[in-house]
Amino acid sequence: MKLQDIIDKLNLKPLTNMEERDVEGVFISDMLSDVMTSAKSGEIWLTVQTHTNIVSAANLVDVSAIIVTQGKTVPQNTIDLANRYLVIILSTPKTTFEIATEMIGIGVKNR
Amino acid sequence: MQEEKCAHTCEMVNVDYGFVITEKCYNCDKISTYFSLESRPPLEEYREGDHFWNVMESAQSFRFDLKCTKCGKVEKFDNLMGLMMCTGCDNTCEADNLRIILEPDRTWVYVAFGFLPTEEHTQLTEEKIAILENYFNQRRKSSSSRIKIISHESVKNIATCYGEVIKDLHMLSLTPPE
Ligand SMILES: [Zn+2]
Ligand SMILES: [Zn+2]
Repeated sequence: MKLQDIIDKLNLKPLTNMEERDVEGVFISDMLSDVMTSAKSGEIWLTVQTHTNIVSAANLVDVSAIIVTQGKTVPQNTIDLANRYLVIILSTPKTTFEIATEMIGIGVKNR
Repeated sequence: MQEEKCAHTCEMVNVDYGFVITEKCYNCDKISTYFSLESRPPLEEYREGDHFWNVMESAQSFRFDLKCTKCGKVEKFDNLMGLMMCTGCDNTCEADNLRIILEPDRTWVYVAFGFLPTEEHTQLTEEKIAILENYFNQRRKSSSSRIKIISHESVKNIATCYGEVIKDLHMLSLTPPE
């Protein structure tokens, strides 16, 4: 599924520059260690973490985008770093569970 | 398949979640790091010869090995403390210069750190770093970007480098819902 479709259907707010990408599933964790061991390239990553290090981890394993849930404020230095490394960060006031449920509803599946 | 002929395709195995503990000796300022499976590092300072070690930090992390799914060869990575994305902070640093060269090609530079002090721990060989780089590049779906992993020896001054090793420390989430 196209990232822009998901953004439109789930009403996500882009915090960074955008480019069109294919989303090939969902990965949920608030631990960078989990992202490094288990996230698959192309997956969209749902987290409440906002530290700059989410950019380093997301970039290493090439997730399609990060969705920061529960309306957590993403610091400007995280957004700036993401823009430099073409990491897309999206924001939503909804919980991780709500977004995951809506993802299933619009047909996002893991490989 | 003969191992020498195999173009390895690796997966992570023997994953252990634990803690990277950083200690500092207040006698000589030496920094020491090690991996521990224990969630509680020694909080009391302790003496080891002339050193008086104090825990500075205990960050959640993990260790792993890589196993080739085709030939079964296992490469151990238990001497990897962590990876740091070079974001550029010193234009006289070799890592930063490589970053400047590679970034226009969408190749991102990561630095592999062994445990400290570097002279007292076995560090990753160039061959191991190449295997690690190959593994993370094989995991990437998009062909539009790649990563380059280099040794911490390329970092001019580890103490002043702005980069951060990827680990679960200060990963707080303090914003209340609106
Ligand atoms: Zn092999
Ligand atoms: Zn000492």
